[in-house]
Amino acid sequence: MTCPTIEDRLSEYLERSLAREEMEQVARHLHECRSCAALLDEMRSVLAVCQSFPVYEPDNALIDKILVRTSGRRRTRSLREWASQYFLRPMLTPRFAMGAVLTALFLVLVANFMLPRVSAVASALAPSEIFRTMDRGVQQIYGGGLKLYDKKNEWQEQFTFYKNNLLNRLGFMIERLDVPVEGKKKPGETQQQPEKAPSNESSLRLLPA
Amino acid sequence: MLSGDQKLVERCLQGDDAAWEAIVKMYAKRIYNLSYRYTGRMDEAEDLTQDILVRVYQNLNSFRADAGSFQSWILKVGRNLIIDHYRQTRRFQPVAGSEEMEGMKIEDDKIPNPHRIVEQNEASRFLGDGLRSLAPELKEAIILRDLEGMAYQEIADLLGIPEGTVKSRINRGRLELTRLLSKRRAQMGMQI
Repeated sequence: MTCPTIEDRLSEYLERSLAREEMEQVARHLHECRSCAALLDEMRSVLAVCQSFPVYEPDNALIDKILVRTSGRRRTRSLREWASQYFLRPMLTPRFAMGAVLTALFLVLVANFMLPRVSAVASALAPSEIFRTMDRGVQQIYGGGLKLYDKKNEWQEQFTFYKNNLLNRLGFMIERLDVPVEGKKKPGETQQQPEKAPSNESSLRLLPA
Repeated sequence: MLSGDQKLVERCLQGDDAAWEAIVKMYAKRIYNLSYRYTGRMDEAEDLTQDILVRVYQNLNSFRADAGSFQSWILKVGRNLIIDHYRQTRRFQPVAGSEEMEGMKIEDDKIPNPHRIVEQNEASRFLGDGLRSLAPELKEAIILRDLEGMAYQEIADLLGIPEGTVKSRINRGRLELTRLLSKRRAQMGMQI
């Protein structure tokens, strides 16, 4: 094969789309011919540049323009785009960055001021300390409960004592008043029969059968 | 059995705006990049992308599924408009200059890396200079194959020429571009 013939087949050789026999012939020639081999290397590097040429993303505004010009409505936006438009983009501004830096500085200053207390708070928040505090609290509540219970029993006893005492005194006073009690007769007193109102009902009916 | 694109087109023709939006989102990027590679200018690429998709919308009912895929059809419409634009402006600047590439969204590089951008700009400008010197049909073949990554058959369908001619144009374009860039690199003493 001559050099011009090889040149006609270089692209296909690079893409390995030649027949096997032709591939071998071209390879043999390239092995022998320095200029054709150099040309192949150059072509390979040019193709690499072509193939690595970047792919560009059209702007969303362009898509919107096209849709407005055709269907008359704008592009449907995803949740991510909405978030980007209303939250991320406003956040990624110099003003927001300045505010964030100032806030961070303020927080550092406050933390620095509060640092001694922070260590005390941190030690109080240790699990063992929390457990101890809880245990102490429970013991106190239990002790308080027991005291209250004793107090209640004491009050109850006192109340019972005073109640019984009062009742006894009342009983004693009633007896001393000497009030005639039904069933008891004083000596010399005749018992008067109360007059019964005339009744149609027989007294037998009140008796059990 | 209708393909996904054909179903979307059917829905569009029935007045479904969501389907049209899906088509726009699906093809805007491809058309934008194609326009940008042909014109080399951001503003022109944006205008062309708008014009192409408006034309597609207006002519959706002329799409015939049995004549080829929707992608081929949309690329044909795009290419025709790009060629019209070229004829009107008589200026073809494949791939952009460095000042236009700054601040652009690059898909494979989410976090802008200045060093990488400078390197890409340099390589792209170098490539653009070489492509500008090629004959239009060779330039087009290189853009479609090596920058857009289209298959030979797709290019043949798009340009309406035999696949063999496409292969020949691509090979000639690559050879010329390689020689041009080698010469310039030797003159500038740089590496691409």
